[in-house]
Amino acid sequence: MKSAQLKTKSSDKTGYLMSLPYVIYFGLFIGFPLVFSFILIFHKWNIVTPMQWIGLRNFYRLFHDVQFFIAIRNTLVFLVIHIPLQIFTALLLAILLNQKIKLKGFFRALYFLPVIVSGVVITILWQQLFAYETGLLNLLLTKLGLSKIPWLINIKWAMPSIAIMATWKNVGLYIVLFLVGLQGIPRYLYEAAEIDGARPVQQFFHITIPALNSTMVLVVILSTIGGFSLFIEPFVMTGGGPMNSTLSVMLYIYNQAFYFGHMGYAATLGFFFAFIILIVVLIQKKFVERKD
Amino acid sequence: MRIQATITLFLLLGVVCISCGKKRTAQTVAAQGAVRLTYWCASNQSEIDLATELVSKWNASHPKIQVALQPIPASQSSEEALLAAIAGKTTPDICANMWPGAMDDFTSSGGLVRLDQFPDFMDYLTERIPTELLESFRSPDGHYYQIPWKTNPIMIMYNKRMFRKAGILKPPRTYSEYLAAAKSITKDLNGDGRADQWMGYQDIRPIWWQRFFDYYTHYIAASGGQTLFDSMGICFENDASIKVFSFFQEIYRNGYFPRTTFQGDNFLAGKFATVITGPWNITHVEKFKKPEFEYDIFPIPVPDDYHGPVYTYGDHKNISIFSTTKNPEAVWKFARFLISAQADLRLLEVCSQIPLRKNLTKNPLYQSYFRENPMMTKFAEQAPFTRGVDGSSVLKEIFDAISQEYEACSIYGKRTPEEAVANAAHAGRSRRQRRQTRPGYH
Repeated sequence: MKSAQLKTKSSDKTGYLMSLPYVIYFGLFIGFPLVFSFILIFHKWNIVTPMQWIGLRNFYRLFHDVQFFIAIRNTLVFLVIHIPLQIFTALLLAILLNQKIKLKGFFRALYFLPVIVSGVVITILWQQLFAYETGLLNLLLTKLGLSKIPWLINIKWAMPSIAIMATWKNVGLYIVLFLVGLQGIPRYLYEAAEIDGARPVQQFFHITIPALNSTMVLVVILSTIGGFSLFIEPFVMTGGGPMNSTLSVMLYIYNQAFYFGHMGYAATLGFFFAFIILIVVLIQKKFVERKD
Repeated sequence: MRIQATITLFLLLGVVCISCGKKRTAQTVAAQGAVRLTYWCASNQSEIDLATELVSKWNASHPKIQVALQPIPASQSSEEALLAAIAGKTTPDICANMWPGAMDDFTSSGGLVRLDQFPDFMDYLTERIPTELLESFRSPDGHYYQIPWKTNPIMIMYNKRMFRKAGILKPPRTYSEYLAAAKSITKDLNGDGRADQWMGYQDIRPIWWQRFFDYYTHYIAASGGQTLFDSMGICFENDASIKVFSFFQEIYRNGYFPRTTFQGDNFLAGKFATVITGPWNITHVEKFKKPEFEYDIFPIPVPDDYHGPVYTYGDHKNISIFSTTKNPEAVWKFARFLISAQADLRLLEVCSQIPLRKNLTKNPLYQSYFRENPMMTKFAEQAPFTRGVDGSSVLKEIFDAISQEYEACSIYGKRTPEEAVANAAHAGRSRRQRRQTRPGYH
């Protein structure tokens, strides 16, 4: 008994030792910044001068900051466009790639390629594609006799353009998720439906879509999280313009912290935004539980 | 378990050995009686080359004051890297890429050495630069924390062939002349309904520092050398600002500048007839231009009714000594070497940048350089007519407000210039007032 206890203690020590690197990493890069940011929300600090206690004044500013609420609205607009577009495109392509077609593996790899390429590189590439005067997309439109689209330079078009780009960038990941879901649907369900005279469209809506429900929920949650952290695209492509129409919350927080040195205020915005995300995730969780 | 303990012990020993090694190096230098200084220079290649050359010269002739060179650590901007260094107390002894606009942040933190404490500072500096210019670098507390070092007067470089082809024989001086030239130059060459060449190009993203090269440069020119502040406070809500906003509104409305973000150098590619730039661009143009590419430089255009010398934005970069230094006297000695007449000559030759120095083009030491580099002469002659930025803690936010309004008015034509300038000034004033009346408020 004693020997067994000793053995357990020794294995505990090994376990602690093995997990130590991550604990140190967590403490340094997640735990400490989190606690420090929380302290910051009650302070004024521009990195160089000593921190100054200002109580809840950063919150007072937040609730009077029109630009921050514009940034929240923009981020929500992005999500409203991006999530349905992402689901529709990924599902459509996954269904096509699930058919018996030649070069299936090649196409699957091709669609996944943008996921692993640097976001900045892709953003610069799309910036050139979207260019109003010289971009390939507008060249194509004019060749087809259509008028040019002010992709990134019009208030109404700028955020949808970014959503299109983000969809293209991430579609490969969601195709994989949908493919896994599609391949998990038992074949006999389709065969039984066929015998009962169900047409392909009916099979899609009554078998495929319900069977993909959990995948759909996962895609919605992942897209939502990705969408809330929208930063690189507006940072590189538009700088938040035209006229604040692509100013995302993350970009706004970045500007406050690193352009203007308002570290305390940026931390307050960050915590407030995390609270909003928490509410959204709780709603989604409730939705998922109800569905289950 | 034993193996893990042994590995941990070895790792700890390794760390201790490395630390001791470092300590020994520093101790060796101290034991030899030499002072060791760290010097940060800008991280572009030409300035690294210049700094390397100057440091080797200095070290060879000053065995008792040895300098170690390091380019400013990679960051979005030098200011960010320096602020991070101040916060982490890892600042160098001296840095030669100080932007005057960030001085307030540095001095308020007590991060810089007061330079006028050195008995020969004023004499040395007044001999080098005009008193009026030196005065503009004085901090609000009445002291000097920066050594005015170099300036990059912003002017307009133009493609002579494109101008000739469009029938423009002399560079435009006024807004009307510029717009007329732009009308002749902006063209759809292949008839596909899309312009292929434009008068110029500026980044349209509403990022505060982008406005240095369009609004601010033209505002300084249109106002006869005024900056955003005067002794009474924010003063850019004036006729000059309105004229600049109108001028750019006209440019974008007529498509003389594209509303596009371009990659690569489209000035050299012959797509843009002009580029708003500084002397540093000469080295680049000379290196990459095709043999048939002809270019010249002209001053920033001014409103039609403007008379007097044409001023421009100077994009000054200065030298400061950090208060973490243990040897301020030795650093000051090294700083004087960095701004010596010979070092200034090398600044011209290696970096194509203009030292802030009286009668630069007339000084016999530099005359052969200017004879061989006539383009640089134009920038050097512009240098006395430059203005920098105001040292204000809310400068970036004021530029941000200007940038938002400039975008709405000049680029997208959604506001009148009068409204836009009034809005920007109002935003700037309230930002400043909040800072003054509510110190706790950011």
